[in-house]
Amino acid sequence: MISFENVRYRRLFIDTLTIAPGVTSIIGPNGSGKSTFLKICAGIAEPDCGTVLVDGRSPRETEIGYVNEFPDRNILFSTVKDELASPLRFRRTVCRETDRAVCTCGEMMGITRLLDRNMQDLSGGEKILVAIAAACISRPRVLILDECDSHLDADRCAWLDTILRASGAEYVIRCTQQMEAAANGDHLIFIEKGRVMHAGTPAAVFPLLAGTPFYPLSWRYPV
Amino acid sequence: MEVSGVKIVLDHLTVGYPFWSLAAKGVFSPGIHLISGDVGSGKSTLALMMAGLRAPDNGTVIREGITRTMLSFQFPEFHVTGLSVADECASWNLDLDAVILSAGIDADEETPVLSLSRGELKRLHLTCVLFLDYDLLLLDEPFSSLDCPGKEQVCRQISERSGGITVIFTHEQSIFPRIDHIWEIAGGELVDCGDMPGAVVRWQHAPPLVKKLMRAGRIPHAVTPEGIREAACRTRG
Repeated sequence: MISFENVRYRRLFIDTLTIAPGVTSIIGPNGSGKSTFLKICAGIAEPDCGTVLVDGRSPRETEIGYVNEFPDRNILFSTVKDELASPLRFRRTVCRETDRAVCTCGEMMGITRLLDRNMQDLSGGEKILVAIAAACISRPRVLILDECDSHLDADRCAWLDTILRASGAEYVIRCTQQMEAAANGDHLIFIEKGRVMHAGTPAAVFPLLAGTPFYPLSWRYPV
Repeated sequence: MEVSGVKIVLDHLTVGYPFWSLAAKGVFSPGIHLISGDVGSGKSTLALMMAGLRAPDNGTVIREGITRTMLSFQFPEFHVTGLSVADECASWNLDLDAVILSAGIDADEETPVLSLSRGELKRLHLTCVLFLDYDLLLLDEPFSSLDCPGKEQVCRQISERSGGITVIFTHEQSIFPRIDHIWEIAGGELVDCGDMPGAVVRWQHAPPLVKKLMRAGRIPHAVTPEGIREAACRTRG
């Protein structure tokens, strides 16, 4: 479990929250604290008080893959191949093994055709695909994605769901504004004004949002 | 607005890179146009060419009667010119309080622009864009990062535009404004799906719910939330 106890940080106030393994979607209005929540989960930010633990350990002691909502803020290197290899090179993985992993990951993520390109020549969606691949390549225990699907087309969004399941990450925590995608997750958390208003399965949480724009269209109009 | 007679013609445009290419031809008349396409298909490049910010390799973009053009980039951070929200509003020559109220963001005049969340930054940017009139308004992924209420609000504002050419480049899957004409990029070419409502049956990139409705024989007359609701609740196809 990922557990939150008495967490206070900027606009976030979380008394108690637990996140079980699986795919967890974080939804809520713009500026409600979703990205801040993800940064705390990732260990990028540390709460002013309270504790966040991933199976009893600090996020900073846990292998975590993270993708920022601003595509360009994920980029460290000039070529796709170097970007993808970077998590393995930082941990001094031998070159042959790194090259093999880059090829395998590129195939799995469907971005082999991008490997020899420059990062700055990619479209916004392509940059996000590379960032997701780089976050997955070291097979992290926790994978955290901040609104990655806002840059992807329908086919890629459906594909992303499959990739997240196949990533091997025990916990996938994703912020999204695509309610259909959130409905396909295992768990759903609705954050508003820095507080967790609802948490549970999509089947339990979405009915509480009926009548709001956050209720999935396909639930509103079953065909 | 002096927008009658405005037109943009894509006269056999081609643009090519070692990794992909795009060919486009067609006429854009006043109204709201939607261009959809896969990731990396060239939507943003086409937007740049239509705005006159990138020259095609071959062909010409002909702008008739267009004197005021706005291209809203996919990434709102590309538009930031001021340090604070007040600076940013001043750079658009807009009233700070009116912008903050319309954008619905939790900010004041001293709030650093880049301390806003990406969704708030997008709201601020789009509010500034939509406060003003243009002959040609190009919106590259206007809905990305917006929450659902924000998307609905922006759709209402776009739908209410009464003149000029508005072109929306997007792969949004749920919430759309009134759309008059649909285009899509497929196989490296800009494909003209036609005017609504007939265009929707030729639209390969139609959202999953629209496709589901069509499979059930309920072809939406519009892709707005109202149009989807009407099709879903229709008792006869």
